[in-house]
Amino acid sequence: MPHFLIQFAQQHEEFRLPELEALATIEDVQMTYDPNDYSLESPFLIVEIESAEKAALLLKRAILIKTITELWGKADSWDGLIAKVQEHPERWPQYLDVSFKFSVVTFGGTIEHKDKAPLINRFAFTGFMGKIDLKTPEEEFLLIADYGIDPDVTVAHTFYMGRLVGHGKRELIDKFNVKKRKYIGNTTMDAELSLIMANQALCGPGKLVYDPFVGTGSFLMTCAHFGAMTVGSDIDGRQIRGKGKASIQSNCEQYDLKGRVLDALVFDVCHSPWRKIKGGMFDAIVTDPPYGVRAGAKTLGRKDPAKQATEPRMAVDEGVLAHLLPDYVPPTKPYEMSEVVADLLMFAVKNLVRGGRLVYWLPTVTEDYTIDDLPTHPCMELVANCEQAFGQWSRRLITMEKVADWDGEMGLGAPTGDMNTSKTGPNQVGHFGFRDRYFAFSAVENAKRKKELKEAYQRGGPQAVAAYMKELEARKKEATTAV
Amino acid sequence: MRLITHNMLQCHVKGCNANNFPLELQEVVLEQEEAELNEDFLRNMLGKIEYEALVATCLKLDINDLPAAMPADAAYNDEFLQILHRVILETHIKSGKMVCPNCQHIYAIRDGIPNMLLAEHEV
Repeated sequence: MPHFLIQFAQQHEEFRLPELEALATIEDVQMTYDPNDYSLESPFLIVEIESAEKAALLLKRAILIKTITELWGKADSWDGLIAKVQEHPERWPQYLDVSFKFSVVTFGGTIEHKDKAPLINRFAFTGFMGKIDLKTPEEEFLLIADYGIDPDVTVAHTFYMGRLVGHGKRELIDKFNVKKRKYIGNTTMDAELSLIMANQALCGPGKLVYDPFVGTGSFLMTCAHFGAMTVGSDIDGRQIRGKGKASIQSNCEQYDLKGRVLDALVFDVCHSPWRKIKGGMFDAIVTDPPYGVRAGAKTLGRKDPAKQATEPRMAVDEGVLAHLLPDYVPPTKPYEMSEVVADLLMFAVKNLVRGGRLVYWLPTVTEDYTIDDLPTHPCMELVANCEQAFGQWSRRLITMEKVADWDGEMGLGAPTGDMNTSKTGPNQVGHFGFRDRYFAFSAVENAKRKKELKEAYQRGGPQAVAAYMKELEARKKEATTAV
Repeated sequence: MRLITHNMLQCHVKGCNANNFPLELQEVVLEQEEAELNEDFLRNMLGKIEYEALVATCLKLDINDLPAAMPADAAYNDEFLQILHRVILETHIKSGKMVCPNCQHIYAIRDGIPNMLLAEHEV
């Protein structure tokens, strides 16, 4: 089978292979590669795919793939590369007359402009006679030099040559850029991750996708972009309605997705009004459950069960039942993160079709996390578990697939890992009490910050302090945009 | 709220487990809004829709376009899919009430958004 070189984006590294696998599943592309060839520290991976046409299918909605190139040679020097390419002259004739260009691509290093033309000219042996067209060539050939991620290395260690198959769809990140979106909230997920989630969920035409913690509706948009019909719910109706002209509705209009975003409803997913059907209603569930840091998770009920009304209550001064008033808002109580996640998984077991996927974020305390933290169910298989780290805490994008029908009884299963090696007790998962522990970090952080500020002042006076504050802002921004 | 969504909802008040579907639409304001036909999606939903309830609900709203029984060749019957599309995906309920035929709980729809929250004594 022909070899292809994938160049990934060098970020969200843990998400790249799972997305590639999801894309291959969506497009039904047979693909093989050696997992030992793959490293989080390199953007390159060589895969074997039946044809360039099939390889191109992987690009249709790829977020973390920059390019795929039909590989004509790989070596540890330009000389070696030329020798490799010359081994297969049978590849060249079909491109003899097409318009073309050569591009030089580097990773982790640079090749000066003046050196590029002589380099390209060394490949004149291919004998291409078509017009050189720098803007819209029929074919583009790449010369790639990989210097690696070590900034101290100034010499490339691997060289590739090939014919460009195409680019991924990274421009979608800009299209769905949160900064350009009319309606967002303070927990709105960034565009790139929202799009990756839609891929993980295998969203596509004909599917029905549900977000039970819909908030301002990011996933309704990205999943609908790939063709799915989407529906969401939230216990907080204010989020759905938005303010003035900014709402989920206005976002649908902005992205021209009104026909695919079916509805957003107000309810608590713990008390869900979805009709139960055998075989499941939803083809995917894509969600970011409230972590309880900026938007505390809530469920219907009262903290003190003794105070919970069991009969309708009269409204004060109104002479009517309180819950019938148009502005009635039922009482809510805090919803512990570990319960949210367990309930979500059970909801998926009951309401997903077989083969349907659950894609959700799980916040974890880095030092306590073990694989045991993931709730499991015999009907659900773990497909991917990708970490986005923020120092002391991180969040993980969990992808599960429903692989068996639910028998109507079976509850959540035992954790997957070895309980004896778990740092947390069986009833105390790593995200238990996440909110309190998140704020405990702040206290430690503050003390550390004070100390660092003092050191900065001693080191370089006000200038060093200013530089330190700037760095701090950047760090803070990175951490909080994710919460 | 679209009629397809209405067809997916049932009353979920604690203890209300029978005769809780479909919710009866009252005092509704309807709006037609064109949407792109998505045949794959309609086919996916054929087995998920409660067709009888859908027809009954439509008749009460004076929407008489759907055949009383789903055609045997529904999945590839273009004319039927077109009607179904118009009814369940292009018909929106802008405001009104959904009343449970069993426990009489009223779910209000405002600005096209249904409020399915339960009262304190209903959870």
